[in-house]
Amino acid sequence: MFLKTELQWNVVIPAESLDAKGLMLQKAIVVRLLDEFSKRKATKDLGYLLALTTVEKIGEGKVRQHTGDVLFPVTFSAISFKLFRGEILEGLVHKVLKQGVILRCGPIENVYLSSSKMPDYKYVPGENPLFMNDKMSKIGKGVTLRFIVIGAKWLEAEREFQALVGLHADYLGPVS
Amino acid sequence: MSGEEEENAAELKIGDEFLKAKCLMNCEVSLILEHKFEQLQQMSDDPRNQVSQVFEKSLQYVKRFSRYKNPDAVKQVREILSRYQLTEFELCVLGNLCPETVEEAIAMVPSIKAKGRVHDDEAIDKMLNDLALIKKFE
Repeated sequence: MFLKTELQWNVVIPAESLDAKGLMLQKAIVVRLLDEFSKRKATKDLGYLLALTTVEKIGEGKVRQHTGDVLFPVTFSAISFKLFRGEILEGLVHKVLKQGVILRCGPIENVYLSSSKMPDYKYVPGENPLFMNDKMSKIGKGVTLRFIVIGAKWLEAEREFQALVGLHADYLGPVS
Repeated sequence: MSGEEEENAAELKIGDEFLKAKCLMNCEVSLILEHKFEQLQQMSDDPRNQVSQVFEKSLQYVKRFSRYKNPDAVKQVREILSRYQLTEFELCVLGNLCPETVEEAIAMVPSIKAKGRVHDDEAIDKMLNDLALIKKFE
Protein backbone atom coordinates (compact mmCIF):
# COMPACT_ATOMS: atom_id res chain seq x y z
CA MET A 1 0.00 0.00 0.00
CA PHE A 2 1.20 3.48 -0.78
CA LEU A 3 1.09 5.71 2.28
CA LYS A 4 1.31 9.43 2.80
CA THR A 5 3.02 10.23 6.09
CA GLU A 6 4.34 13.20 7.94
CA LEU A 7 7.89 12.85 9.17
CA GLN A 8 10.28 14.84 11.26
CA TRP A 9 13.98 14.52 10.61
CA ASN A 10 16.96 16.50 11.79
CA VAL A 11 19.08 18.03 9.07
CA VAL A 12 22.66 18.95 9.89
CA ILE A 13 24.28 21.80 7.99
CA PRO A 14 28.08 21.80 8.39
CA ALA A 15 29.56 24.98 9.77
CA GLU A 16 31.62 25.65 6.65
CA SER A 17 28.58 25.79 4.39
CA LEU A 18 26.89 28.43 6.53
CA ASP A 19 27.59 31.77 4.96
CA ALA A 20 26.30 35.27 5.29
CA LYS A 21 23.74 34.84 2.51
CA GLY A 22 20.78 33.84 4.64
CA LEU A 23 18.54 33.13 1.66
CA MET A 24 20.72 30.24 0.60
CA LEU A 25 20.26 28.50 3.92
CA GLN A 26 16.72 27.30 3.29
CA LYS A 27 17.80 25.87 -0.03
CA ALA A 28 20.79 24.18 1.58
CA ILE A 29 18.51 22.54 4.15
CA VAL A 30 16.10 21.24 1.53
CA VAL A 31 18.90 19.95 -0.71
CA ARG A 32 20.44 18.17 2.25
CA LEU A 33 17.09 16.71 3.25
CA LEU A 34 16.40 15.43 -0.27
CA ASP A 35 19.83 13.88 -0.34
CA GLU A 36 19.34 12.05 2.93
CA PHE A 37 15.85 11.03 1.94
CA SER A 38 17.01 9.19 -1.16
CA LYS A 39 20.02 7.71 0.63
CA ARG A 40 17.81 6.28 3.38
CA LYS A 41 15.92 4.30 0.71
CA ALA A 42 13.60 2.52 3.14
CA THR A 43 12.80 2.12 6.82
CA LYS A 44 11.46 -0.88 8.68
CA ASP A 45 8.31 0.95 9.80
CA LEU A 46 7.36 2.99 6.76
CA GLY A 47 8.67 0.79 3.99
CA TYR A 48 10.27 2.25 0.87
CA LEU A 49 10.62 6.01 0.71
CA LEU A 50 9.45 7.15 -2.71
CA ALA A 51 9.22 10.88 -2.79
CA LEU A 52 9.14 13.87 -0.58
CA THR A 53 6.05 15.89 -1.39
CA THR A 54 6.07 19.01 0.78
CA VAL A 55 8.28 20.58 3.39
CA GLU A 56 5.87 21.72 6.10
CA LYS A 57 8.16 23.42 8.54
CA ILE A 58 11.82 24.12 9.20
CA GLY A 59 12.36 24.60 12.92
CA GLU A 60 14.86 26.75 14.68
CA GLY A 61 18.47 25.67 14.25
CA LYS A 62 20.53 24.48 17.17
CA VAL A 63 24.28 24.95 17.13
CA ARG A 64 26.19 21.82 18.05
CA GLN A 65 29.02 22.25 20.47
CA HIS A 66 32.60 21.60 19.31
CA THR A 67 31.83 21.30 15.59
CA GLY A 68 29.73 24.40 15.11
CA ASP A 69 27.38 22.53 12.77
CA VAL A 70 23.76 23.57 12.91
CA LEU A 71 20.94 21.09 13.32
CA PHE A 72 17.49 21.93 11.97
CA PRO A 73 14.35 19.92 12.76
CA VAL A 74 12.39 19.64 9.51
CA THR A 75 8.79 18.48 9.22
CA PHE A 76 7.73 17.17 5.81
CA SER A 77 5.28 14.90 4.01
CA ALA A 78 6.41 11.92 2.02
CA ILE A 79 5.03 8.95 0.12
CA SER A 80 6.12 5.47 1.07
CA PHE A 81 5.27 1.92 0.04
CA LYS A 82 4.77 -0.83 2.58
CA LEU A 83 3.52 -4.39 2.26
CA PHE A 84 1.05 -5.63 4.84
CA ARG A 85 0.43 -9.25 5.71
CA GLY A 86 -2.93 -10.26 4.25
CA GLU A 87 -2.95 -7.43 1.71
CA ILE A 88 -3.95 -8.23 -1.86
CA LEU A 89 -1.81 -6.67 -4.57
CA GLU A 90 -0.83 -6.98 -8.19
CA GLY A 91 2.68 -7.50 -9.50
CA LEU A 92 4.67 -8.45 -12.54
CA VAL A 93 6.58 -11.75 -12.89
CA HIS A 94 10.20 -11.10 -13.88
CA LYS A 95 11.88 -14.42 -13.18
CA VAL A 96 10.73 -18.03 -13.39
CA LEU A 97 12.58 -20.66 -11.37
CA LYS A 98 11.84 -24.30 -10.80
CA GLN A 99 10.91 -23.56 -7.19
CA GLY A 100 8.65 -20.63 -7.96
CA VAL A 101 8.51 -17.19 -9.54
CA ILE A 102 9.85 -13.78 -8.56
CA LEU A 103 7.73 -10.68 -8.99
CA ARG A 104 8.11 -6.96 -8.98
CA CYS A 105 5.62 -4.98 -6.98
CA GLY A 106 6.00 -1.25 -6.47
CA PRO A 107 9.65 -0.58 -5.65
CA ILE A 108 10.18 -4.15 -4.41
CA GLU A 109 12.02 -6.54 -6.72
CA ASN A 110 12.06 -9.61 -4.48
CA VAL A 111 8.49 -10.77 -4.17
CA TYR A 112 8.66 -14.55 -4.07
CA LEU A 113 5.81 -16.85 -4.98
CA SER A 114 6.89 -20.37 -4.12
CA SER A 115 5.51 -23.29 -6.12
CA SER A 116 4.19 -24.66 -2.81
CA LYS A 117 1.95 -21.59 -2.56
CA MET A 118 0.36 -22.29 -5.95
CA PRO A 119 -0.30 -26.03 -5.62
CA ASP A 120 -2.49 -26.40 -8.70
CA TYR A 121 0.24 -25.01 -10.97
CA LYS A 122 2.93 -27.31 -12.39
CA TYR A 123 6.37 -26.28 -13.58
CA VAL A 124 6.85 -26.58 -17.35
CA PRO A 125 10.58 -26.48 -18.25
CA GLY A 126 11.86 -25.18 -21.59
CA GLU A 127 13.46 -22.14 -23.17
CA ASN A 128 10.79 -20.01 -21.57
CA PRO A 129 9.88 -21.97 -18.47
CA LEU A 130 6.50 -21.31 -16.89
CA PHE A 131 3.91 -22.63 -14.49
CA MET A 132 0.59 -23.93 -15.77
CA ASN A 133 -2.56 -25.38 -14.23
CA ASP A 134 -5.28 -27.73 -15.57
CA LYS A 135 -7.27 -24.81 -16.91
CA MET A 136 -4.27 -23.78 -19.07
CA SER A 137 -3.76 -20.67 -16.99
CA LYS A 138 -0.09 -19.71 -17.38
CA ILE A 139 2.34 -17.93 -15.08
CA GLY A 140 5.47 -16.93 -16.96
CA LYS A 141 7.77 -13.97 -17.40
CA GLY A 142 5.84 -10.74 -18.02
CA VAL A 143 2.56 -12.04 -16.60
CA THR A 144 0.59 -9.85 -14.20
CA LEU A 145 -0.49 -11.66 -11.04
CA ARG A 146 -2.86 -10.84 -8.25
CA PHE A 147 -1.61 -12.31 -4.98
CA ILE A 148 -1.92 -12.17 -1.20
CA VAL A 149 1.00 -11.16 1.05
CA ILE A 150 2.03 -13.93 3.45
CA GLY A 151 4.89 -12.07 5.04
CA ALA A 152 7.50 -9.38 4.49
CA LYS A 153 10.98 -9.40 5.94
CA TRP A 154 13.13 -6.34 6.54
CA LEU A 155 16.79 -6.78 5.66
CA GLU A 156 18.66 -4.21 7.69
CA ALA A 157 22.01 -4.50 5.88
CA GLU A 158 20.53 -4.04 2.40
CA ARG A 159 17.79 -1.68 3.58
CA GLU A 160 15.35 -3.74 1.59
CA PHE A 161 12.28 -5.89 2.01
CA GLN A 162 11.74 -9.44 0.87
CA ALA A 163 8.21 -10.66 0.55
CA LEU A 164 6.54 -14.05 0.42
CA VAL A 165 3.22 -14.21 -1.37
CA GLY A 166 0.64 -16.83 -2.27
CA LEU A 167 -2.32 -17.56 -4.51
CA HIS A 168 -4.30 -19.51 -1.90
CA ALA A 169 -7.53 -17.49 -1.94
CA ASP A 170 -10.35 -16.81 -4.38
CA TYR A 171 -9.89 -14.39 -7.26
CA LEU A 172 -6.10 -14.60 -7.16
CA GLY A 173 -3.85 -15.55 -10.07
CA PRO A 174 -3.03 -14.15 -13.51
CA VAL A 175 -4.97 -11.05 -14.58
CA SER A 176 -5.31 -9.94 -18.16
CA MET B 1 3.81 -3.72 14.36
CA SER B 2 5.43 -4.57 17.62
CA GLY B 3 4.04 -8.06 17.77
CA GLU B 4 1.23 -7.62 20.27
CA GLU B 5 -1.23 -8.89 17.68
CA GLU B 6 -0.38 -10.49 14.41
CA GLU B 7 -0.69 -8.20 11.42
CA ASN B 8 -3.46 -9.12 9.04
CA ALA B 9 -4.72 -6.64 6.48
CA ALA B 10 -7.74 -8.82 5.74
CA GLU B 11 -9.03 -8.07 9.24
CA LEU B 12 -7.71 -4.53 9.18
CA LYS B 13 -5.05 -5.39 11.74
CA ILE B 14 -2.31 -3.20 10.33
CA GLY B 15 -1.36 -1.12 13.35
CA ASP B 16 -3.05 2.04 14.53
CA GLU B 17 -0.53 4.37 12.97
CA PHE B 18 -1.31 2.92 9.54
CA LEU B 19 -5.06 2.80 10.02
CA LYS B 20 -4.93 6.52 10.58
CA ALA B 21 -2.33 7.23 7.91
CA LYS B 22 -3.51 8.41 4.58
CA CYS B 23 -3.32 5.67 1.99
CA LEU B 24 -2.99 6.45 -1.68
CA MET B 25 -4.34 4.59 -4.69
CA ASN B 26 -1.93 3.64 -7.47
CA CYS B 27 -3.57 6.16 -9.80
CA GLU B 28 -3.08 8.96 -7.25
CA VAL B 29 0.57 8.04 -6.73
CA SER B 30 1.01 7.99 -10.49
CA LEU B 31 -0.23 11.58 -10.81
CA ILE B 32 1.99 12.78 -7.96
CA LEU B 33 5.14 11.01 -9.18
CA GLU B 34 4.68 12.08 -12.78
CA HIS B 35 4.27 15.67 -11.70
CA LYS B 36 7.37 15.35 -9.54
CA PHE B 37 9.32 13.82 -12.42
CA GLU B 38 8.42 16.73 -14.71
CA GLN B 39 9.51 19.20 -12.05
CA LEU B 40 12.86 17.48 -11.70
CA GLN B 41 13.33 17.40 -15.45
CA GLN B 42 12.92 21.14 -15.62
CA MET B 43 15.43 21.64 -12.85
CA SER B 44 18.24 19.57 -14.26
CA ASP B 45 19.57 18.54 -17.67
CA ASP B 46 19.73 14.90 -16.79
CA PRO B 47 16.82 13.93 -14.56
CA ARG B 48 18.21 10.43 -14.02
CA ASN B 49 20.80 11.96 -11.73
CA GLN B 50 18.11 13.16 -9.40
CA VAL B 51 15.64 10.32 -9.39
CA SER B 52 16.27 7.48 -6.99
CA GLN B 53 15.82 3.87 -8.03
CA VAL B 54 12.94 3.51 -5.62
CA PHE B 55 11.25 6.45 -7.34
CA GLU B 56 11.86 5.10 -10.82
CA LYS B 57 10.61 1.58 -10.08
CA SER B 58 7.55 2.91 -8.30
CA LEU B 59 6.70 5.23 -11.17
CA GLN B 60 6.92 2.34 -13.63
CA TYR B 61 4.71 0.25 -11.39
CA VAL B 62 1.95 2.79 -10.80
CA LYS B 63 1.87 3.73 -14.47
CA ARG B 64 1.17 0.12 -15.32
CA PHE B 65 -1.19 -0.63 -12.45
CA SER B 66 -3.40 2.46 -12.45
CA ARG B 67 -7.02 1.77 -13.33
CA TYR B 68 -7.74 5.41 -13.94
CA LYS B 69 -5.50 7.84 -15.80
CA ASN B 70 -7.54 11.00 -16.10
CA PRO B 71 -6.98 13.29 -13.06
CA ASP B 72 -10.71 14.10 -12.82
CA ALA B 73 -11.61 10.43 -12.79
CA VAL B 74 -9.01 9.77 -10.11
CA LYS B 75 -10.58 12.44 -7.95
CA GLN B 76 -14.08 11.07 -8.55
CA VAL B 77 -13.05 7.55 -7.55
CA ARG B 78 -11.95 8.77 -4.14
CA GLU B 79 -15.04 10.94 -3.79
CA ILE B 80 -17.42 8.11 -4.56
CA LEU B 81 -15.67 5.53 -2.41
CA SER B 82 -15.57 8.02 0.47
CA ARG B 83 -19.35 7.87 0.68
CA TYR B 84 -19.28 4.23 1.78
CA GLN B 85 -17.73 4.46 5.27
CA LEU B 86 -14.58 2.65 4.29
CA THR B 87 -11.23 2.97 6.00
CA GLU B 88 -8.45 4.56 3.96
CA PHE B 89 -6.89 1.14 3.48
CA GLU B 90 -10.08 -0.49 2.19
CA LEU B 91 -10.82 2.44 -0.08
CA CYS B 92 -7.45 2.15 -1.79
CA VAL B 93 -7.54 -1.63 -2.20
CA LEU B 94 -10.93 -1.32 -3.93
CA GLY B 95 -9.73 1.58 -6.09
CA ASN B 96 -6.61 -0.36 -7.08
CA LEU B 97 -8.17 -3.71 -7.88
CA CYS B 98 -11.60 -2.59 -9.16
CA PRO B 99 -13.46 -5.81 -8.40
CA GLU B 100 -16.34 -6.55 -10.73
CA THR B 101 -18.68 -8.53 -8.50
CA VAL B 102 -19.78 -8.30 -4.88
CA GLU B 103 -18.22 -11.68 -4.18
CA GLU B 104 -14.90 -10.55 -5.65
CA ALA B 105 -14.98 -7.31 -3.65
CA ILE B 106 -15.47 -9.22 -0.41
CA ALA B 107 -12.61 -11.57 -1.33
CA MET B 108 -10.33 -8.58 -1.93
CA VAL B 109 -11.41 -6.68 1.21
CA PRO B 110 -12.88 -9.23 3.67
CA SER B 111 -13.10 -6.58 6.39
CA ILE B 112 -16.00 -4.78 4.65
CA LYS B 113 -18.22 -7.70 5.64
CA ALA B 114 -16.94 -7.87 9.20
CA LYS B 115 -19.27 -7.68 12.18
CA GLY B 116 -20.69 -4.29 12.92
CA ARG B 117 -20.05 -2.90 9.47
CA VAL B 118 -22.96 -1.51 7.51
CA HIS B 119 -22.25 -3.00 4.11
CA ASP B 120 -24.91 -5.28 2.75
CA ASP B 121 -24.49 -6.82 -0.68
CA GLU B 122 -26.75 -4.20 -2.20
CA ALA B 123 -24.60 -1.31 -1.00
CA ILE B 124 -21.44 -3.01 -2.24
CA ASP B 125 -23.08 -3.67 -5.59
CA LYS B 126 -24.03 -0.02 -5.93
CA MET B 127 -20.50 1.03 -5.07
CA LEU B 128 -19.03 -1.23 -7.75
CA ASN B 129 -21.49 0.09 -10.31
CA ASP B 130 -20.50 3.65 -9.49
CA LEU B 131 -16.86 2.73 -9.96
CA ALA B 132 -17.52 1.02 -13.27
CA LEU B 133 -19.37 4.11 -14.49
CA ILE B 134 -16.36 6.34 -13.89
CA LYS B 135 -14.20 3.97 -15.89
CA LYS B 136 -16.71 3.94 -18.71
CA PHE B 137 -16.85 7.71 -19.03
CA GLU B 138 -13.18 8.39 -18.42
